[in-house]
Amino acid sequence: MKKIMTIFKKELIDSIRDRRTLITMVVVPLLLFPILIGISSKIMISQARKAREKTLRIGLMTYNNAREFRESLLGREDVAVIDHIDAELGQQLIKKDSLDAFILFEKDFDKRVGDMLTGRITLYFKATEEREIEKRRVLTLLNDFERELRSSRFDKLNLDLSIIETIDVDEQNLATPKERLAEVIGGFLPYLFIIFCFMGAMYPAIDLAAGEKERGTLETLLTSPVGRFQILLGKFGVVVLTGILSAAISMLGMYVGIRQVKEIPPELLNMILSILEFDSIILLISLLLPLTIFFAAILLSLSFFAKSFKEAQSIISPMMIVVIIPAFIGLMPGIRLTPTTALIPVLNVSLATKGIIADTIVPGMLIEVYLSLIVYAALSIVVCSKIFTREGTIFRF
Amino acid sequence: MIIVKDLWKTFKLSRQQKKEKGTKHRDGKIHAVAGINFTCQPGRIFTLLGPNGAGKTTTLRMIATLLKPTSGSISLDGIDIRKQPQDARRKLGFLTGTTKLYDRLTPNELVKYYADLHDMDRNLFKKRRDELFALLDMHEFAGWRIGKLSTGMRQKVSIVRTIIHDPEIVVFDEPTVGLDVITSKNIIELIRKCKQEGKTVIFSTHIMGEVSLLSDDMAIIHNGKLCYKGTYRDFQNQMQRDSLEEEFIRLLREGQT
Repeated sequence: MKKIMTIFKKELIDSIRDRRTLITMVVVPLLLFPILIGISSKIMISQARKAREKTLRIGLMTYNNAREFRESLLGREDVAVIDHIDAELGQQLIKKDSLDAFILFEKDFDKRVGDMLTGRITLYFKATEEREIEKRRVLTLLNDFERELRSSRFDKLNLDLSIIETIDVDEQNLATPKERLAEVIGGFLPYLFIIFCFMGAMYPAIDLAAGEKERGTLETLLTSPVGRFQILLGKFGVVVLTGILSAAISMLGMYVGIRQVKEIPPELLNMILSILEFDSIILLISLLLPLTIFFAAILLSLSFFAKSFKEAQSIISPMMIVVIIPAFIGLMPGIRLTPTTALIPVLNVSLATKGIIADTIVPGMLIEVYLSLIVYAALSIVVCSKIFTREGTIFRF
Repeated sequence: MIIVKDLWKTFKLSRQQKKEKGTKHRDGKIHAVAGINFTCQPGRIFTLLGPNGAGKTTTLRMIATLLKPTSGSISLDGIDIRKQPQDARRKLGFLTGTTKLYDRLTPNELVKYYADLHDMDRNLFKKRRDELFALLDMHEFAGWRIGKLSTGMRQKVSIVRTIIHDPEIVVFDEPTVGLDVITSKNIIELIRKCKQEGKTVIFSTHIMGEVSLLSDDMAIIHNGKLCYKGTYRDFQNQMQRDSLEEEFIRLLREGQT
């Protein structure tokens, strides 16, 4: 144990002094969230404000129908109406982004409405995410118009509006705020934590295995009176620690990032901060620990196998995709933690984390996730130690 | 003392290597060391001489327990390296010319690291470190990062790293390869110092000058087999050519036929 600790301490000092390890382990996870949250929230908030406050440019062709609607539009300060343009021109102006919407009434609109028939209005717009707010604003105007017409029609018929309301659905969402939040960001957070775990462990693993092999220092280390498994465990400890630290630092970065955005409503802020409670963090890290051991064993195995630092990098970089895919599947709605998904590494952590955030995790499932991760971690250590003790790997001829 | 008996090391060739080596190695195997025997005595320097690829490094790596012999035996002061590799390593110091050091550690940290791995007593370590640092004039840069040291300084650190635990057997694998004259001289002095201290010294080289400077006993290895084994003095007496180089080449040619 003493020798494992000696190796662990030396490898830790060596890794901490490496600028590249520090960048991937500390700087990126610490700064990514504040930058991501800070910049993206500011951009989103300012874009939404702009879309809400901007003057809507609406093209209109009423064929002298719906006079009241036209006048109300012309009277609004937040709408600029370009009147009497034909359908073709209206569509062209939409395509050129000169108009936000073009409203085309059918020629006998008033007559049809008067005859108690349906009057047709065609609404032209460009449906893109950034124009969503403008589209909603135009639809609100049309909905108001429809409500007025309906109301006057019911008045004419001496009917009460409630006559068409055959059922009244009273929606009561019993999902807790945490569950609702987990639906929105629950998949995204574990995805990031898993990626950081992998990234944080990746560089030290390459350096402590392939790097040491390439430098020739491994040869001298192997001539010291230390068992190969002890050497492996010393290195292993550092790789696992850097992976876990990286994920923990990313959580800290997220906390800092969220605190700096003042526009987040207090209710939402409290919900997000509840994820970062001590108990939740301990539970998350306890899930990430066996996963990081699994990652560390794979990374070290591949690094020991590689002839050089560069070769290790080129072997391990594509591994990132192998990690991202199951983590990404965990982001998809409808994918739940089941006895089968609990056995798939990475995906199981992603889904279990989602459950922890939502406070809906079933203890039995969580135990299955832990057990499967422990088995994978143990197996990967066995494989790694086999690779490390093979002289053909260490002195690849 | 090192006793090497009927030592063999066979490597399996990869598919690519089989293609490169051609029909010579149809069985897909290469005998890097093929049944060699020799003994290195304490207080004497044993030189393993041979051209590149002769099997020198493989032999020394087996002595240093880095590679397992395919067959045969190696004993270090009576310890069988196969049965007790960790005990054998306690007695060993190993230095190669190509070995680098941990650039992000200081000489102090590096030497302490190896001393800890050898379970050295703290006071004994401090005494020995101070002696060696003084001997090699290293105190000035003992706290600098190794990455910032010159080649000569690094080589001094390597030397201290090799002998900090006062090993009884020291293995030098082409220790002066790529080094300048002054740095090589440090190594030569170290090898001599080890001999004076009664250590068993084995070193490999392909530089004839080093052989004449240091050897008490020598063996010439070629294609994994020994072409000559004996004392350096006997070698000189039996020479059929005018110079060491020419005699060496003659023996290699004879060995091939």
